[in-house]
Amino acid sequence: MHVRKNIPLILLVASVAAAALLITDPYILTMLIFIGIYAIATMGLNLLLGFAGQISLGHGAFFALGAYVSAILTTRFGAPCTAAAALAVALVCAIAWAVGLPCLRLKGHYLAMGTLAFGEIIHITLNAEVELTGGPSGIAGIPVLSLGPFSADSDARYFLIVWCVFIALFVLTRNIINSRPGRALQALHGSEQAAGAMGIDVAGMKLTVFVLSAAYAALAGVLYVHFVAFVSPQAGDIMFSIKMVTMVVAGGMGHLWGGLLGAALLTVLPEMLSYFEDYDMLIYGGILLAMVMFMPGGLTQGLARLSGALRARRTAVRPGAVTGGRTEDPVPRRTAQ
Amino acid sequence: MSSQTAIVRISGISKNFGGLAALQEVSITVGRGTITSVIGPNGAGKTTLINVLSGFLKPDSGTIELNGAVITGRKAHAITRLGMARTFQTAQVFGQMSVLENVMVGCHARTRTGLAGAALRLPGVRAEERAVREKARGLLAMVGLAGQASMTAASIPIGSQRLLEIARALASQPAVLLLDEPAAGLNTQETRRLGELLLDIRRQGITIMLVEHDMELVMDISDEIAVLNFGRSIARGTPAEIQASPDVIAVYLGED
Ligand SMILES: Nc1ncnc2c1ncn2[C@@H]1O[C@H](COP(=O)(O)OP(=O)(O)OP(=O)(O)O)[C@@H](O)[C@H]1O
Ligand SMILES: [Mg+2]
Repeated sequence: MHVRKNIPLILLVASVAAAALLITDPYILTMLIFIGIYAIATMGLNLLLGFAGQISLGHGAFFALGAYVSAILTTRFGAPCTAAAALAVALVCAIAWAVGLPCLRLKGHYLAMGTLAFGEIIHITLNAEVELTGGPSGIAGIPVLSLGPFSADSDARYFLIVWCVFIALFVLTRNIINSRPGRALQALHGSEQAAGAMGIDVAGMKLTVFVLSAAYAALAGVLYVHFVAFVSPQAGDIMFSIKMVTMVVAGGMGHLWGGLLGAALLTVLPEMLSYFEDYDMLIYGGILLAMVMFMPGGLTQGLARLSGALRARRTAVRPGAVTGGRTEDPVPRRTAQ
Repeated sequence: MSSQTAIVRISGISKNFGGLAALQEVSITVGRGTITSVIGPNGAGKTTLINVLSGFLKPDSGTIELNGAVITGRKAHAITRLGMARTFQTAQVFGQMSVLENVMVGCHARTRTGLAGAALRLPGVRAEERAVREKARGLLAMVGLAGQASMTAASIPIGSQRLLEIARALASQPAVLLLDEPAAGLNTQETRRLGELLLDIRRQGITIMLVEHDMELVMDISDEIAVLNFGRSIARGTPAEIQASPDVIAVYLGED
């Protein structure tokens, strides 16, 4: 692995370590924890949406299901957190498989509607199954994450756990993207026909990436529920599903960093805009609209363009600087057609 | 050529689209190691034939044999794994991926790395990845696209995209390569180079079934030619025989 390619990751690891040591403000820590949790969920959704080109408006439901299963197992059955988390993710994978099997036969708008309907069904079920889920009032008193003697009982510790999970998943995801299965799922985005002609089992690959992305959402839901210690059906409603999609689009579809940037933007922005009180939603919407119009490739593309422009200026200033004649597009992956 | 063994045997294939008979009882035998061309006017059913052969369409009747095994009705990805690869009449590259990655996707059918192995970068996976990269580079060099390896596939000219499709199909190590109008949109010089490339591919032991409108190219490089008209196979023979056939001249060559 080239060091240069890893600079952003190294910076992230360093920032996480520094933040864990230096930041004590609970408000900021909480916000960083939420960003990490959403970034995990959106990394998975980005695999589906940005890389494989398949829409889902039901991923909030996988997040909620992960949260609920872990909550129920720990509060009702006294299961240890790690076992509950593992079971929650496994169960959500099974559900995603069962949902994906019929849904992924659909394309475009129909797939969006199918996954939307699934999300609604889960939302209604969580409200209605009062005995199991506590209904609209949800489940409270969920224990904090712990493994043996180690307990994530402080915000600083929880922060560290969430971000270590993110970094580990980031590396694993990047490995997948730059390998046979990762290329196969990106091929789906380019042309399903050509993917089939290359020996890729198109239906199987779609289902695989759908289940995989649901697993990320479920894991994020688990991390969420053991931090907030409370969950209600609102956790994974349609608004949250749409917010996840917005995070991916705003951050940059088909860019691994896109999910994180989008999650950070959409978590921090509403907080900052609360200063404007009644007008916050208006400004929020305006900013998102402007981003879609002027930065269709999301933040990652915007940043890549910016750094490309800066580099170009630097080379222009130094006469005789060798550019190496590379014709590489600074942002190889564009948004969905 | 008739003494050669058949690698693909198309027997009595029919395909209807509603009331339209796109293919009617078509039978063509493709000799192993040959370049067999399929020609015919627009709408004759050539692309439909390729779609049926490659598993993108199910024929209404008839059978297709590859290497003696019946493959009719099998899925497209399974047929590729069995050794028959194709290109598309309208180039279908993976636009947002790099040119090199496109060819690496072509290796999918001949490699095994799964999700877990890929995520953990196991040593075997690394080795496979290196091999795939090397092979893809080799194929790009062969079709003359080595210099564009890191460009996005969507950003290269359409003629180059057609060559990329050929490299990508070759990456699946096919025994038979189905080409749907690879010369469309190429200039004379590019077409000549394409002809050399196809002869080169044949020399490597790969059988080619070529659908093409460029008669000069077809007559230059084909061992055998089959002529389709309104979904029927109306003639077959060597380029010389086809050029001399009054039937063919009447329905096809005379038309232009
Ligand atoms: N999916 C389809 N549905 C309905 N009709 C179709 C379909 N595909 C092809 N056809 C029709 O079948 C006939 C044969 O089409 P095909 O594409 O095989 O012709 P072709 O020989 O490849 O022509 P060209 O030289 O123009 O590429 C045409 O009349 C076409 O309109
Ligand atoms: Mg055609």
